[in-house]
Amino acid sequence: MIVRLAWRSIWRNRRRTLITVSSIGLGLTCAIFFIAMADGVYVQLINDAVRMQAGHVTLEHPEYRDAPAIDLYLPDTRALRTQIEKMINVERTKLLILGQGVAKSGVGTVGVSVMGVEPSVEAKTSPLVNNIISGRYLEDTDGSLIVVGSKLADRLHLKKGKKLVLTTNDVSGALTEELCRVAGIFETGVDEIDGYLIQAPISFLRKLYGFPPGGATQLGVVLKKASAQRKVIKWIQPIARENSFSVYPWQNVMPELASYIKLDRGSNLILQAILLFLILFTIFNTISMSVLERNKEFAVLKAIGTQSFHMRAQLILESVFIGLIGCFLGLLVGGLASYALQIWGFDITSLYSDEISISGFAVSPIIHAKLSGSMLFWLVGIVMGATLLLSLIPMRRATNVNIAETLR
Amino acid sequence: MQSIVRLKGVTKDYGQGEVVVHALRGVDLSIQTGDFAAMAGPSGSGKSTLLNIIGGLDGPSSGEVEVEGRSIINLSGTKLSRLRRDRIGFIFQSYNLIPVLTAMENAEYVLMLQGVPTARRREKVMALLKEVGLEGLENRFPRELSGGQQQRVAIARAIASEPALVLADEPTANVDSKTAAGLMDLMAQLNEEKGGTFLFSTHDQAVMKRAKSLLLLKDGRIVYNGAPVENLDEAE
Repeated sequence: MIVRLAWRSIWRNRRRTLITVSSIGLGLTCAIFFIAMADGVYVQLINDAVRMQAGHVTLEHPEYRDAPAIDLYLPDTRALRTQIEKMINVERTKLLILGQGVAKSGVGTVGVSVMGVEPSVEAKTSPLVNNIISGRYLEDTDGSLIVVGSKLADRLHLKKGKKLVLTTNDVSGALTEELCRVAGIFETGVDEIDGYLIQAPISFLRKLYGFPPGGATQLGVVLKKASAQRKVIKWIQPIARENSFSVYPWQNVMPELASYIKLDRGSNLILQAILLFLILFTIFNTISMSVLERNKEFAVLKAIGTQSFHMRAQLILESVFIGLIGCFLGLLVGGLASYALQIWGFDITSLYSDEISISGFAVSPIIHAKLSGSMLFWLVGIVMGATLLLSLIPMRRATNVNIAETLR
Repeated sequence: MQSIVRLKGVTKDYGQGEVVVHALRGVDLSIQTGDFAAMAGPSGSGKSTLLNIIGGLDGPSSGEVEVEGRSIINLSGTKLSRLRRDRIGFIFQSYNLIPVLTAMENAEYVLMLQGVPTARRREKVMALLKEVGLEGLENRFPRELSGGQQQRVAIARAIASEPALVLADEPTANVDSKTAAGLMDLMAQLNEEKGGTFLFSTHDQAVMKRAKSLLLLKDGRIVYNGAPVENLDEAE
């Protein structure tokens, strides 16, 4: 009967209850939608960045992270690579040589970042492959063919088939140079990439830098699920130690991106907290009003022998009902909207005239939300938990009502 | 006969300092088990205060209050609550039914508090509602009932748990004289048949005449305690 009493009590003032549950529903919808959208952007950003760079987990020479230099390379990674690729959750591994150099064409000279890649692996992994605007991407048999960024191509007047000379220092510090030919030009929309990056087959750069066969500055591990990162690091750590390699999560390899996401998440959290506060204020107001209006009724209930715990149970149930209906509405609308955004995405091209980049990484103009059960669970949990906590004050008021004075 | 209620030197003061109101000034009283007692007196004479103190809804400023031979002065809130639930029934002037519960649910509420199984309490309350003349109206909400019908539900609620004592604060004040007579018939019948003790406050001479005994209060003191009288002035 307490359940019936609580349920009917919340509908005494139908309009107020509807406004309250709508507020909760709307607030939760906004929270779910914006968190899912932000999570979607982060996931997309991380996914693109780790696939273009050195994976979710990166193995390097132990001193490379502090002072990246071309002579701090991994000598032979073939056996280790085979071992890692057998692990659960590992999609594939990729080898990279990251170096600096000077690109010289007939019209000028530009300092560049040079990235040696395995073209067949990159083709399956890196989003850069899809950003070729002229010519084609690299192939394993390409020899000294390279792909360059569009802005770099403009500065050096490069086109498909044009030649350039790449000058750098090899592992012994000696000056070395090679003639390359442009196979294709890519455009990501990020100045740092389009203006300075050259990609070449890793075999070509091994020759240029004087690396042994199988050598690379980084061994990247691309995971099937980013959430498996910790586990995989734990598995890799002992075998990497045997080879005297260091293992890093992508957050250490791309700290600017990690910091950006952390900062953005923090500011989003503040917005969500404000939203939550507004929702909770509405709930508190409703429960308080509803209790104040029923002072006499609570006095009667006490007079006829209702114990405090029965009254508490009734008020808790009223809060639970209001919270549950609001959460159901929020989950339904917010969940469906986010799910639609997750499946179909939202094209923001019309909102921005330029390409969008974050921390030197391009953001796809098609935003996909990322809905997760744990996020929904936590949001509903917070709203419900806070609702119950907020009902404690009016509950105290109701159970402490002075019977004689109220009924007089 | 045994006393169900015994008061000794009970006083009740409201307010502080110079604005103290002495609602009760040393009341000594004994109500016998099975009595059907009326309590009369002008407004402000202390009738409601006395009922509240006997029912454990309010505490006296001084004096001793016993219900069924047990002092209730120092009982904790929980114990007082249990006493009211199990041994005392209340009937209020303005019915005070729970508006979102039906007549049957209102009447069975105290039984629910006592933990009586649903089927048993339903059966009991259905019989009780029939007894108070509300057969067929069990599923109506208070707003769908007349004042007299609501007070019958309140009576059913008060006696459903078969309390030893029923306290009624002007139970007929909000109904017409015909309905009032009907309610008094009902309470008198319940007093006869079930043997419960009834103590009710009233301004109505016709109601007073129905009582087995009469208490007359004036300025917080009992000025008459005896058989009902034709004229209150005689009693004073």
